[in-house]
Amino acid sequence: MADKGYRLIRTSELLYEFEQCGSKRVRYCIEFIGQKSKSSVREYHNFLEDMGYRVFYKNINLNYSVGKIRWRPWAEKCGQIAANGTTFNRELLIVEREDDGKPFSLHTTYEDKQNYYKSVRKPYLFLFAFSAILGIVMQAWAWGIFAAAFLVPAIFYQIEVMQLKRQARTKEW
Amino acid sequence: MRDNVRGGALTEVTFYILLSLYSPKHGYAVMQFIEEKTYGRLTLGAGTLYGALGSLKDKGWIKPCGDYGDRKKEYIITPSGREIVKREYIRLQELVNVAAGIIGGSV
Repeated sequence: MADKGYRLIRTSELLYEFEQCGSKRVRYCIEFIGQKSKSSVREYHNFLEDMGYRVFYKNINLNYSVGKIRWRPWAEKCGQIAANGTTFNRELLIVEREDDGKPFSLHTTYEDKQNYYKSVRKPYLFLFAFSAILGIVMQAWAWGIFAAAFLVPAIFYQIEVMQLKRQARTKEW
Repeated sequence: MRDNVRGGALTEVTFYILLSLYSPKHGYAVMQFIEEKTYGRLTLGAGTLYGALGSLKDKGWIKPCGDYGDRKKEYIITPSGREIVKREYIRLQELVNVAAGIIGGSV
């Protein structure tokens, strides 16, 4: 949408609202922040706004359920209980910057990219282990299929981490 | 950040951030300083810069300064950060001297 000259105004659970931004083009970056605590999200948000960026939140899935609270054992210490006031339904951060013709990315060094991919890999690893254990204990194939489905992205991010680690041995960015 | 404190080797990102904070700066000014001094060769992402500033603050090499209230949060280098920079400067000079001795100072 940014390439077509549109700019994000608002996000909701199902929708994104855009407006035409005329001659001033913008670029976007998306970051997974589901592992962060409320205070670290707030601090990061303020930092990005201080940098002159606009920040939006978006839910990673629809979560049509009773009770808006989740236990996230893969999150950082104070972010393990996610509720409406924290990162529940706000797992993605959409960051907007004015387009100055340069590439826009939030993580630029190999080490930092590794850390980011590790934080994305953690939920998949947890869900894989959880499903696999349930599958074995309950002798249920359905859980085995879930486990296999979660293993695919976990392997994908593991490969990314390993490649970045290899590159970081001789280069910093 | 994988800075080797015992050996004194800093990453280029750490070294530039510490140099930029000899005068108080907020995140955007640090980013601009690095881009300007490296003629655009080194461009830091905001997420990387945020992580690096947090890491350096935890190490006690930089600290927030001033009463920022509604203003942007600024940082400045601490005395121990200055000491680290001096050690890195000496290490880099030694490295350059060795390289110059081998390749004859011509690039």
